[in-house]
Amino acid sequence: MLVPIAAASATLDFLSVNIWHILMAIGNLLILVLILKKFLFKPVQKILKQREDEIGKAYEDADKALSEAKTERELYKTKLDSAKSEADSLIAGASKRAKQESAEILENARIEAERRRRSADEDIELARKKAAEEMRDEISEMVIDLAEKVVEKEIDPKAHAAMIDDAIKNLGE
Amino acid sequence: MEINITGAKILFELPFGIKITETQVNMWLVMLGIALFCAWLTHDMKVKPTSKRQIVAEYLVKTVENFVTSNMGEKWRWFVPYIAALFSLALFSSLISLLGMYPPTSDLNTTAGWAIMTFILITFYKIKTNGPLGYAKSLTEPIFIMTPMNILGEFATPISMAFRMFGNVASGTVVSALIYAALAVLNNAIFGWLPGILGEAAEKLPILQLGLPALLSLYFDVFSGVLQAFIFCMLTMLYIKSAAETE
Repeated sequence: MLVPIAAASATLDFLSVNIWHILMAIGNLLILVLILKKFLFKPVQKILKQREDEIGKAYEDADKALSEAKTERELYKTKLDSAKSEADSLIAGASKRAKQESAEILENARIEAERRRRSADEDIELARKKAAEEMRDEISEMVIDLAEKVVEKEIDPKAHAAMIDDAIKNLGE
Repeated sequence: MEINITGAKILFELPFGIKITETQVNMWLVMLGIALFCAWLTHDMKVKPTSKRQIVAEYLVKTVENFVTSNMGEKWRWFVPYIAALFSLALFSSLISLLGMYPPTSDLNTTAGWAIMTFILITFYKIKTNGPLGYAKSLTEPIFIMTPMNILGEFATPISMAFRMFGNVASGTVVSALIYAALAVLNNAIFGWLPGILGEAAEKLPILQLGLPALLSLYFDVFSGVLQAFIFCMLTMLYIKSAAETE
């Protein structure tokens, strides 16, 4: 089928037009289009697409993580807030109770002091009365002794007791 | 001194008179090279790139995508592989001449084929955007007499594109060949009179052919190759975009 031709002898003219050669040039060009598509553009575009997808996915993941972090942060914030308010209320309750207790203690102390003061007053009064009575008795005895010496006559303490008492009372008052 | 400037060598012939020349074979080599390079770049890619290969692959794809979408708009994203194929094929078909091989872009059939593809796309989008009647009507504007000129203008686009690229690459080859031959002649003129073995050595080893052709090759092969591939893609994009936008 193939008929080799002596290379040196046969050449085309410098300017020749051959429809087969034109068609072959077109065919070669179109074949090269397919070759480039298959060996260059398809693989590269596939890789670029994959990379784009991966980057998109990375962005999506980042967004998701960010929103998750945000919700978690909100959650912790509310938890923290509630803990804080709880602590506040605990402290407030404790301090209130402490105040109440201290007031109670103070009140008790005051009552106790009052009670003691009152009993002390009573004691003092009692002692004063006793002392006064003793004094009165001594004075009455003294008076009687004195009067006996004055009148040189025994005074019957019993007979005159009432009278002397009256006198001392007037004196004591 | 005789200089032969010819087209591609015919390597073998298929039935129906289909001749396989250096143009086709070299273009297949370029395509094979591009395919292997891309397969090497993109094998074992990871979502987190670990190799420089992958970064180069992603850079290439993004650059072409950016190149197309910035010129044509976001909805032409599907067109990116076509422009990538067109640019790489045109570029490496020109640059293959650096390896001393016949550049497929200096064969008019190659550039004509690509230009015809552009023409088909332009016309398709003009008809798709305006409807067949609208397209036919646009050929008769501004006045009916202009119709032949308009039709000529439609065909002028691919023809100028095909000849622009072909002319640049082929003329580079021609100019390089001429300069190369001229340097050989100059070499003989300067050193040829040397007696005996020195003269023969100078003839066999034309030292003047060192240097200048390499600089010219830098311009014709590298600079012109890149520029023409870029221009071809740019024109294709702009023509097709404006075809899809016409009212």
